[in-house]
Amino acid sequence: MTKVSRTIVEVLHAGRADLFVISWSKSEVIEPIPSHTAHSIKELEVGDIFHTQSFVLSSSSLQQPAVSSQEEIVIPRKKTWNKVAVLQALAGTVKRDVTAYDYRFQDDPILSPSGSLDVKILTLAEESGRNVAKYFISTYPKYFQTDYAEPHIPCFMPEVTEPQIEGVSEAALKERIQLRRVTDAVDLYDQLLQGGNTVSLNVTNDLLDLICLYGDRDPVKESFLQQTLSHISQYLTSLPHSENNNAERIFGLLSEPNTRSYSALIQGMVKHGAFSKAIETYTDLRRNGLIGDVAIFNALIRAVWGSYPTFNERVEKSMNFLVEMESQKIKPNLNTFNAVLKCLLNSGKFGRASAFSVFSEMKALNIEPSLGSYNFLIYMFYNAALKDHEEANIAILDNVMNEILGKSFTPQHPEDGFFFTSAMTICLKFNYLELAYKVHELLNVGENWRAKFFELIAQNENIETVLKWYRDLIPSVLSIKKMNFAKDQNVLNEILALMAREKHSVEVQESFAECALDIMKIFDDPNKNITLQWTVSSIICLVRIFLAAQRRAEAWNAVGMFQRNNRVPTVELLTEFLECSMKAGDVDQAVELLKLSAGFCIPDTPKLIQKLQEKFELSETHRSILADLEVEFNFVQ
Amino acid sequence: MAASIYLPMLEYFMYYLYQAVVPRTVKMAEDQDWTAVYPTAASFKPSAVPLPIRMGYPLKGGVSPDKQGNLELIKIPNFLHLTPAAIKKHCEALKPFLTEWPSALDSDEKCTEHFPIQVQTKDFVSSGASLRNPNARIVTMKVPLSSLNLDDHARKKIIKLAKERYCEETDTLTLVTDSCPLKQQNYDHAMYLLTVLYHESWKMEAWEEDKAREDMEEYEWQDSPSQRNVVELLERTKGTEERKKDLLSQPEVQEYKDAIVIMKNHGETEENLLRYKEAVKKLYNI
Repeated sequence: MTKVSRTIVEVLHAGRADLFVISWSKSEVIEPIPSHTAHSIKELEVGDIFHTQSFVLSSSSLQQPAVSSQEEIVIPRKKTWNKVAVLQALAGTVKRDVTAYDYRFQDDPILSPSGSLDVKILTLAEESGRNVAKYFISTYPKYFQTDYAEPHIPCFMPEVTEPQIEGVSEAALKERIQLRRVTDAVDLYDQLLQGGNTVSLNVTNDLLDLICLYGDRDPVKESFLQQTLSHISQYLTSLPHSENNNAERIFGLLSEPNTRSYSALIQGMVKHGAFSKAIETYTDLRRNGLIGDVAIFNALIRAVWGSYPTFNERVEKSMNFLVEMESQKIKPNLNTFNAVLKCLLNSGKFGRASAFSVFSEMKALNIEPSLGSYNFLIYMFYNAALKDHEEANIAILDNVMNEILGKSFTPQHPEDGFFFTSAMTICLKFNYLELAYKVHELLNVGENWRAKFFELIAQNENIETVLKWYRDLIPSVLSIKKMNFAKDQNVLNEILALMAREKHSVEVQESFAECALDIMKIFDDPNKNITLQWTVSSIICLVRIFLAAQRRAEAWNAVGMFQRNNRVPTVELLTEFLECSMKAGDVDQAVELLKLSAGFCIPDTPKLIQKLQEKFELSETHRSILADLEVEFNFVQ
Repeated sequence: MAASIYLPMLEYFMYYLYQAVVPRTVKMAEDQDWTAVYPTAASFKPSAVPLPIRMGYPLKGGVSPDKQGNLELIKIPNFLHLTPAAIKKHCEALKPFLTEWPSALDSDEKCTEHFPIQVQTKDFVSSGASLRNPNARIVTMKVPLSSLNLDDHARKKIIKLAKERYCEETDTLTLVTDSCPLKQQNYDHAMYLLTVLYHESWKMEAWEEDKAREDMEEYEWQDSPSQRNVVELLERTKGTEERKKDLLSQPEVQEYKDAIVIMKNHGETEENLLRYKEAVKKLYNI
């Protein structure tokens, strides 16, 4: 007990509560009195004064180690996070399930589609159902106004597609711009000007942005399939740029265009292919004494790419623009560098050297290169090699992969998506297996490159690894893409060869046989419009697989394919089959086989016939057949 | 029951149509990642759970129906998404959100000593159109009165003010607030109530001076009829030489006083009555 507390207790025992109050307030220390003292105080009915809810502030001079530990209670600072952080953290614990069907389908073997055709039908059916629902909700919005969701979910309510504000006013114009009704907005703008009203510069700039983005026509709502097709076609076709279009007209009507208006106009021109016009507009801008901004320069560099065919001019012009950009003190961003890299694409050695300086510049400015930039880089280095089958320097791709391993990517540039296909093509071409594994590791998403990946593995690894990857990839992802996959005949042949190569345990052979049956079905399906040719080796492999799995009936079917496809079996194959049937004691089949071999005029047929005769006791019919065959054979010979 | 008879027929039909309806349990490896198969709460899927489970009233043959198409398995809630492996992963993922427990608070007593106020709230999660639940606004606040700085009068007054919100056995004052629509508001209201109660109990109103014997919570022997009776008795027996104070300071009187006080305050028990008897006997010198 400390000195102070002892004093207090003594005072209390003497019944002098008033003295206690004074002495307590005089004490320098506020500390919790040990419980036994407190108890004695209770009996005097003074009250529980000491059990205060306070932190312990201890003065070291009065402290005694025997008393309860006088540690400070440190309350840590409260952590804050955004609304979805916990969900994201928990979602990170979940990985892809290998055997599961696609997320769009019911998780049931009966209810989920079995082939690519079924998948297509189901997806289209679901999509059309969704479209019908959307159509009804948007056409009769008054029936869908009850809102059950708390908090309010705006995307579940019917969309307001019709503009609410009628009449000719700036507010109405703003609304139409927001609803992306290009033609209506332009008409309204014209009406406003005719009526003598002025439209503010901001709103006019918004209108210009709208027109340039959509190319002077209304945006079209596309369905899911159309979207997947269109993003490919967007790259191939460019929207035509008409003369006297509304953007230029409205721009001309502006009394004092500012940087933003010029920016909209130039970007629109570049997007729709009017490259030289864009550069002219830029000189206009400079003449009027205005400064450009990042977007303008990005567009201009893209214009350079489009308008100057020779690489020297391109480099020169883009250099000019970059210098101007610097003089106007504008900071380049990711898109600038990607545009520059695109300019350097087909420029040979100089391009390659400059590419490195571009990347170091990006690092200096702390801009993270996107997948698109890496794509340009590997394209520059490997394109020539791919075309001319030259030996390429693997170091580049290795370095790139080391850079990007472990980082997560969001798509930032339209070229990003092509990175994986090109990387995989290169790996395939030059047989870089470890790199291929790295690319696969990087991302679990990807379509075309997986088929190539699988092909590469099939060529190089042993059968167990192949089967593991097969099991991983085939059921979920590739079953949907089976059609594309099956088109690749080489792959199938490879697989067959692999399976036939070695002898394995019984279960493996069984699964091989199942695989082979699947492949046969792919080949023979009359619905598909692809022509796949059976080669001799593939049919031989097929037969051998079936024989290894002791499935002689299927093997017999496969042998029949020789005739159907006008191919000739080899002696070894027939010998193998014969031995198999002889082992099983199926004499009839053996005889049939010999007939077949005679039909194909295989030179060793007499030997085979002799073998059979040696091994077995043949019946009358069989002997006569064999005799006939021998005669025929000798006759032909 | 009837469904279980027709189900095999349905399967044959499907088999005929689709040739091979193979559930994906066949393709599952034994060391697969189960947390990927059932990442969230989902109903039981017989084609995705590779266990030979049976459930339900036994069929005529004497065994429960198997898992294919078994509604009993689908109706009940399952915890296939919360296997120990999954929970471990979740805990690992949630660790960055947590802070350290203060090392000085290593026992319950220390916690109640330093943080005597306990606040209880409930959060509700349900799947439905609305996220809101009106019961989530209720806040319960518990404080032991021993941790408050109260003198005798304040303590009695606060107990009188709180009425049934005070529990004698545990010496806790419980305040339940649900009059505001939001939890934060109810919490603030509870804190306000506690502050007001505390300060009010320390105040001495003018009319509190008129507290009569009937208003007292406990029986007080001083100036009670019992005391008067004892004094009278002693005066008569021993004569009027001794003064009242000396009379009262006699040990028998003290004992009698204790017995009476305990009986009045704590009720009559065997023990109490015996004590009273002894005390009375001593008083009468029997």
